[in-house]
Amino acid sequence: MDTIISTAKLNSSEIFDLMKQFITEVIGEEFVEEMDITMESSFTKDLEMDSIEIVSFSEKIKNHFGEQIDFTGWLSNMDLDELINLNLGTIVNYIEECQ
Amino acid sequence: MPIINVKSRGVHVQELNKGAAETVLLVHGMFSNLSIYYFNIAPILAKHFHVVMYDLKSHGMSEKIADGYDLNSMTDDLSELLERLELSSVHLAGYSFGGLISLKMAARFPDKIKKLAIIEAPDPNDDKTRDIIDEYSREFLEYYVQNFADTTKSKMGKRQMEKNHRMYEYLFHETSIKSDMIRERDFFSAAEIGEISQETLLLYGADSNCLEAGKKLKKKIKRVEMLEVDGDHNVPIQQPASIGNLMESFFKN
Repeated sequence: MDTIISTAKLNSSEIFDLMKQFITEVIGEEFVEEMDITMESSFTKDLEMDSIEIVSFSEKIKNHFGEQIDFTGWLSNMDLDELINLNLGTIVNYIEECQ
Repeated sequence: MPIINVKSRGVHVQELNKGAAETVLLVHGMFSNLSIYYFNIAPILAKHFHVVMYDLKSHGMSEKIADGYDLNSMTDDLSELLERLELSSVHLAGYSFGGLISLKMAARFPDKIKKLAIIEAPDPNDDKTRDIIDEYSREFLEYYVQNFADTTKSKMGKRQMEKNHRMYEYLFHETSIKSDMIRERDFFSAAEIGEISQETLLLYGADSNCLEAGKKLKKKIKRVEMLEVDGDHNVPIQQPASIGNLMESFFKN
């Protein structure tokens, strides 16, 4: 496992770039190239990520930020509609607040 | 991704609350993966228990394997996984096909299983599941998604459609899953079901087409309670909090 826990505080633009990198690693570069990923991109509708890919994405956040961010716990408090409509900007804001 | 070698094949495993005294192990269903538990049901159980989830062979992020989908092979895999994780005994819960694996596990390895929760296990003698394999085609998948996706609220896009299509094609045409399932058709009539000694909770959707299978199991298992939850066969997705809370209270008390 490539656990790299980062302690440096990131701004929202850096977090956005990091999330884009994680998304690329999870769904593959060939799909990401065809997409315009923005803060408004929703995980299920726009990025077409299924739940096992979101598990993989969560794992990357856990490995990068360690215990300072309980991303899975945050997601588990959402209902299905909130999860389906979850967009990248909401995640970036959450991570920025938790740091 | 945490990958563990079981029978020289990579198995994707996720664990929560590793320090807890007792473990609950969760087995997902066919054509699904561990994410069915990961976001809602597992965190409820992890308030008290060490929770282990794994992807079955050729599912989720586990390695693809062409054979060994019968219940003996699936429980051999699970038994070895427990050894790899150094877990001598666990509470076990399984959904749908994972419910059949869990029943078999309790029957074959009674010392390794404490309590048993079965969610929506179908009767393998029911031809409906095997008919899906016979009739499968891309058109079928598109029809299925269009007509049944509303029960899970998920809408599949082009990439997901392709991904799922590849998984179904692989499982249906390049593995022994169909012939292995046919070999299990008498499982509910087998004496080993009646010999399951663990305290067992059966959870079924009140509108599920598997409800009759649950009633059959209720008659056969000795120490059993059956509860109906609002929903159909997709009840862990439709009512994750209810399913999680019912299991938490069953395993705790």
